[in-house]
Order: sequence, then C-alpha cells, then structure tokens
Amino acid sequence: MSSDLVQILDGNTFVVSDDRGDIEASSTDPTGLFSFDTRFLSKWVLTVDGERLSALSVDDLQYFEARFFLVRGTGTVYVDAKMSVIRMRAVGDGFIERLQILNHEDEAAKIRVRIDADSDFADLFEVKDALEKKGVRKNRVEGGRLVLGYERGPFVRETRISSTARASVDELGLSFDVTIKPHGEWTTNLAVVTAIGAAGERHERTKYGHQRMEPRPNMATDLETWLADAPDLRCDWAPLNEAYRRSLIDLAALRFRPLAMAGHALPAAGLPWFMTMFGRDSILTSLQALPFTPELAQTTLRALGAWQGARLDDFRDEDPGRILHEMRYGELTAFEERPHSPYYGAADATPLYVVLLDEYERWSGDRALVRDLEYEARAALNWIDEYADLQGNGYVAYRRRNEETGLENQCWKDSWDSISYRDGKLPGFPRATCELQGYAYDAKVRGARLAREIWRDPGFADRLEREAADLKRRFNRDFWVSDGGYFAIALDADGRRVDSLTSNIGHLLWSGIVDKSKARSVARHLVGPALFSGWGVRTLAEGEGRYNPIG
Amino acid sequence: MRSSGSERRRSPTAAFFDDLAGRGCEPLLRNVSGTIRFDLDDGESVEHWSVTIAEGDVEVSHSRARADAVVRLDKSTFDGMISGRVNAMAATLRGELVPEGDLSLMTMFQRVFPGPARA
Repeated sequence: MSSDLVQILDGNTFVVSDDRGDIEASSTDPTGLFSFDTRFLSKWVLTVDGERLSALSVDDLQYFEARFFLVRGTGTVYVDAKMSVIRMRAVGDGFIERLQILNHEDEAAKIRVRIDADSDFADLFEVKDALEKKGVRKNRVEGGRLVLGYERGPFVRETRISSTARASVDELGLSFDVTIKPHGEWTTNLAVVTAIGAAGERHERTKYGHQRMEPRPNMATDLETWLADAPDLRCDWAPLNEAYRRSLIDLAALRFRPLAMAGHALPAAGLPWFMTMFGRDSILTSLQALPFTPELAQTTLRALGAWQGARLDDFRDEDPGRILHEMRYGELTAFEERPHSPYYGAADATPLYVVLLDEYERWSGDRALVRDLEYEARAALNWIDEYADLQGNGYVAYRRRNEETGLENQCWKDSWDSISYRDGKLPGFPRATCELQGYAYDAKVRGARLAREIWRDPGFADRLEREAADLKRRFNRDFWVSDGGYFAIALDADGRRVDSLTSNIGHLLWSGIVDKSKARSVARHLVGPALFSGWGVRTLAEGEGRYNPIG
Repeated sequence: MRSSGSERRRSPTAAFFDDLAGRGCEPLLRNVSGTIRFDLDDGESVEHWSVTIAEGDVEVSHSRARADAVVRLDKSTFDGMISGRVNAMAATLRGELVPEGDLSLMTMFQRVFPGPARA
C-alpha cells in the first residue's frame, strides 16, 4: 500500500484516501469509505472551478480524525496561494467532513466548489478481485441529499450525503456556487452516512447532527478514559513512557464492538482490512494485553462463546464446540458466496479459548465469568477430542470440508503453502501442526485447574490432567526431529514428520508441552542463524526448500 | 405453547417451539434471560411466537406483548431456519430478517437452530 494514503477509522468503519483527502478507487487502489466490510464511497473528489487541489500537509490528529491542508493547482510548485482549503474529517457511522475555504486576497472570490461522489458498494473481498456486482446501483436526489444506493433483493446498502451549506445536488455529486469576501471564509459540513437496511426500510443510522464536528459525542472522551483506566507506567527513560502510551492508543484503534455485545470491545485482527472478530487474533491479542486491558479478554471470551459452533455445517467448517475463525458482514457473506457468517476454519482458536479463559481469571480474579462460560469451555475441550482428532492418533488436526472457499491451513500460518517438508513438498491432509498440540496440552492443563477450583469437578480435572500428560509424552516422541534437535512443524496424514524447521516451535515453549531436556535445543534454534535474522525470527528457516528471504 | 397446540395444525414452526419448550433447561441458553418475539409473515397474516427464556428454561406463547427483541421475517425463511436450510446470520445480512431490540438475545438464540442436512 502506498505510504501517502491517509487512513482513519472507528471499529469496522474506515476511510482510506490520498493525501488530498480524495478517494478514487480502482481495483489497484483500494481507497474508499468502508463499513461492515462494504465500500460505501468509491469516489469522493473535491475540485474548485473544475481543478483538483494539492496537499500542503496532513495532520493525523487521532486514529479517527485527520485534517488536510490544500491549495489550488496540481503542480509541484504552488500555482495559486490566494486561497487555502482545509478539510477536517472525522469517522464514525460514515464520516463528517468540514470543508473550509479561506480567501487571502483583498478582492472577493467567486468560485464553484464541487464534490464528486459515487459508490461501487464492493464487498471487501471483491475489492482486490474487481468482481462484477450482481445487484443494481441507483443514485438519487432526495430531500436535498444525495443518496447512493445498491440493492440485491432484500439486501440494501445506502450512502447518504448532505451538506449544511446550500448545495445544488445531482446524482453524482454536490456543487456550491460561492462568493467569499476579501479575507473571508466559507464553510460547509458534509455528512456521509452509511445505512444498512432491508428493502423498504429507510431508517437513519447517523448518531450525530452534522453541525457537530465530533464523530461521536464521546469519542475523544472515550480515548481519554481508555488511557486513564490502563495501569499507570512511569519511567525516567522517556521513550518507554511514550512507547507505552502509543501502544495503548494503537490498542484503542484496534477495538471492534460486535453488534451484540452492548458496546463492549474486543481486539480485531488488524486495521483497516481486518477490523472484525477473529478467533486466533482476538484471543492472542487479548492474552498479550491482559496485564493492561483485561476487559478486552472478557469481551473476546463472551463474544466468541456466544458464536461458538453448535452444529455440523460443512460450508462454514462448523462443529459443535468449535470457536470461530472469522466473521464478516459484506454482500458475499450475506449471499453465501463466502462462508464467513461466521467461518469456523481454525483449529487453534478452540484450545486457545480455554487458555485465555484460564489466564484471564489468573489476572482478574473474575471467577463469575469462568462459571458463566463453563458450558462453552467444556464444549471447547470436548471439541479437541471429539472433532479435531482427524488422523485418529490423538492429535489435533485439520482438513477443510468447504473445499471451494474454506481455508486449507487452519493454524498459526494460514497461507496455502505455509506447511512444507524440508524439500519444499506440501503434505496431504489432514495436517496436525505442532503448535496445535501445544495449545491442546495447555488447554487441558488449564481446563483441569478451572474444573478443580471453580467448576468443582475433580473427576473431570483428573481426566484432563491424565490426557495432558499422555499428549505431552507422545508429542515429545512423535514430533521430535532427532537429527535436527527440534520439533517437526506437523505430522502428515500418514503420521510422518513434516520436517522443516520453523518458528512454530516457539509456541511450544509457552505452551509447556516441551520436555525440559528438549527446551534448550528449541530455544537455541529460535535465536540461531537459520531462524534468527537479526531483526526477528524467520517463519521458515534459511535453507529450507520453500525459504524465500523476501517471501 | 400447549394452549394453542390443539387449535392449530401442528406446523413445523409449532413442532420446533414445542420441542424447545419441552426440553427443560436448554444449556445453550442457560446464560440468557429475556423475551424474544418472532413475527412470522406468510403474506396474508402475521403469526406471533413469543419465547421467554429464564436462564435456559423456555416458555412459548402467542403473546404480542412487548419483547426485549423482535425479529420480523417471512414464515418461509423461518421454516428454512428451523430445518437447517437457511443460516440465520446470512439471512440477517441479506435483510431477510430484521432484528430489533436486544441483538445479543438473537445471537444466543440462533445457537438452537439446526445445521444443514449432511450427505
């Protein structure tokens, strides 16, 4: 992605524009206003007297607001400094933009200001593929507003654009004929509201009047509260203070509030393209943030618990007890051209769910949540034995049942070619990767503690501990690559070791499954020349068949 | 639901709710308390099914009283949901059902719908 793109976001609503604030989306230029995995604006271009503007500077004020300082003319040398144009944009259920034009001359300026607007209503999954839309796009002018619309049966998405200053509105934009006094200014507030509804419905979703320049009345306060609620860290080495504060703000930007969670937030997988609930990512980020923001873990556990698999569904790779991989809200998901409603194709999220529940209780002492989620945690533990043992050898393995749009690799590394032998060949399915066994071991050990101390079920605790001990014993025997002194990345469908050296073995150290006698050798590999680049740990060791230093 | 069961032909809808109410405590709903009302439209009339959940215990009636969540949809879509042909979340995203009120109730409730028939 080009570095001069400007991104602001609030949960799964985000705006990606160029440094002028303009949006001109194409298949190679994934800019736009996005919300709920749908592009609501693919064009948003400001002109003055038919001319594009140039950026002087951009202020990234907060992760949810930005300010663009512009001048007329498009050359590298400013051709016209008689006028300043300032766009102040804040996101939230769409966005608000204050457009301000200052006349620096002694004479009045008569100009025509124009915003061109349109939307392709692309699903996020379509943006890269530039797929043909199956529904109908129709823009209309309604009550002084421009409404960009898309309908496919009952599926309706709309973008509603209005202005505080009187505009002449047509189906592709808003125009303003403006006279600005000498040294005067002209301002309008533009509101761009994303609307999701069923056919026939026209309900508003804006949460703010467009006179107000705040995306939500409480957004800035919310960030201050977030910072104030986190532990206070003070250090006489200033960079640490700054890094800590920056990390908290970045975590705040990563927050995503699932609709059914009454405003509570969990960490999404990544901004801006992965601003949704993920099993693996939401759990691991919650786990790492536990000492600072344990409320993220609480929401993650509740939301993933609510969406825990309850039936067998091959399209979604769903099993009873399985924790979801990814939830999406766009058109392709709605019409089941993608399985993310939600999709369950992850083999690690389910044991990690139990790991997070235990670790959360250790940090927070919140036993009530562990009692509330007893059913879900037991269902997750049951999934490990009943649904994940696809090789019949007591190891967690995966093989997608949705062969068309499901994920081939349902583990820590989920790209299609991430699991390979030393010679670069790819193993067949099912695959039992090593870190999955570590998580399963950890889940059983931690589940045993919860069963004994909180659910008052010592029989279940004993059983889990026996199974964990047995898993550890077998794992250290079956996965160990003795001529290399590390654990294989996986066992293949025939129970043979997939023998490449990878970073996955790092997960085994924190899971506790590694025999003490083998831990030192594993650690040496992680910081040794084949895996450690000097910048970090390579995912695949130098010298392996598929190793590619830039891949 | 028993009150009206005899008057009405036992539709798949009635069978689904009868079964749900007859289970005793449904573990998938044991953290749930509240009333969710399904307004099922068959094109001519609207059937109301009001499901009151008290920590997993389920009572079903035809009450039209205020509920914590109201879900409006075509009866044929609902029949699809209770037979595993229609996924509730995908149908919601398509706009085939319109949930109002407490969305967490609907999220929890969708867990009791069956999965698709498997080959």
